[in-house]
Amino acid sequence: MLIVVLAGVYAFRHQESQAEKVAAPVAPAAAAAVDSSACIASKEYMRANHMRVLAEWRNSSVREGNRVWVAPDGRKIDKSLNTCLSCHSSNRMFCFNCHMYANVKPNCWNCHISPMEAP
Amino acid sequence: MNEDRRSFIKKAGIGILAGIGSAAGLFPALSLEKTVFPAWDEKPEPGKHRWGMLIDTRKCSGNCRECVAACHFTHNVPDFGNRKDEVKWIWKSSYENVFPTASRQFQSPEVTERPYVALCNHCAEPPCTKACPTEATFRRWDGIVSMDYHRCIGCRFCMAACPYGSRSFNWRDPREGIKLASTDYPTRMQGVVEKCNFCSERLVKGLDPACVEACPEQALVFGDLNDPSSEIRKLLESNETMQRKPELGTKPSVFYII
Repeated sequence: MLIVVLAGVYAFRHQESQAEKVAAPVAPAAAAAVDSSACIASKEYMRANHMRVLAEWRNSSVREGNRVWVAPDGRKIDKSLNTCLSCHSSNRMFCFNCHMYANVKPNCWNCHISPMEAP
Repeated sequence: MNEDRRSFIKKAGIGILAGIGSAAGLFPALSLEKTVFPAWDEKPEPGKHRWGMLIDTRKCSGNCRECVAACHFTHNVPDFGNRKDEVKWIWKSSYENVFPTASRQFQSPEVTERPYVALCNHCAEPPCTKACPTEATFRRWDGIVSMDYHRCIGCRFCMAACPYGSRSFNWRDPREGIKLASTDYPTRMQGVVEKCNFCSERLVKGLDPACVEACPEQALVFGDLNDPSSEIRKLLESNETMQRKPELGTKPSVFYII
């Protein structure tokens, strides 16, 4: 019991000390916390259109600097492949099962670290 | 007796759950690149900021390679150990290579013999972006000359256009040359050009560039050249500074105090 409580206190302190290290040249906007706890759209839509969503996100975030995507229900989401991977990489075969079955070879993982390669 | 036992187990259970909950912050769920909400909320205003860097070469000591090591680790820059395949984002070079057209003659040997840090100048008039046939490299809204690696076809026109040698080509698969991989940034692939991005992925999180953070002498100062009250502007006003090859009209955003 005591050990558990101590571990909790340590974890809290640890998070605090990490937060202090951040020096900000740009003042962070009063933005909502990142929400990647739920999928950005329905399963059916994402199955058919995930590649279009990713291409659109990439173009608008890299080239126009418009990094925040607002979901129809008002959630604000970082336009990043890592937003998807923060949940979906829990299944290492999430991307590969379908892509192998459909024999499509996207070149995402030539550069980005795939869930299969993650340590 | 039974009632006490029951309430003890309840309390212990709550305690364990709280412990697990707070300990979750200790261990990242997976060691992939992390999602961090950007420091700004909406589409940025073009031309509002212009990021720049001032390098105080008097503070920069000869043998130190901290900035190079930090940058190359952060961005997964490969090292193949030979000049032909060399990929570099920031490097140290001699006075005559960094300032080959400097007008001042007969500088003291102390000045001409010490090494100088060189990196992409993030020019206000970048010749590389004009040479790129696919617009893979472009000048961003905040003055950073950026690369969209998705679009690069590896023609290397930008390398020929850059007067500072700031661009490197991946002749080989870069993953073979990365000894210690950072999971916070992607790698590149064989056949694309790469260069310094002024740590745009760190700026978005509100952090200074990796080289600035790593320098033990604080010789590198990063800031907004469009903000008259910024530290970099004050230092530029109070010091005699130099740019690399200013006569070319590229208007570099990297300045040197000699």
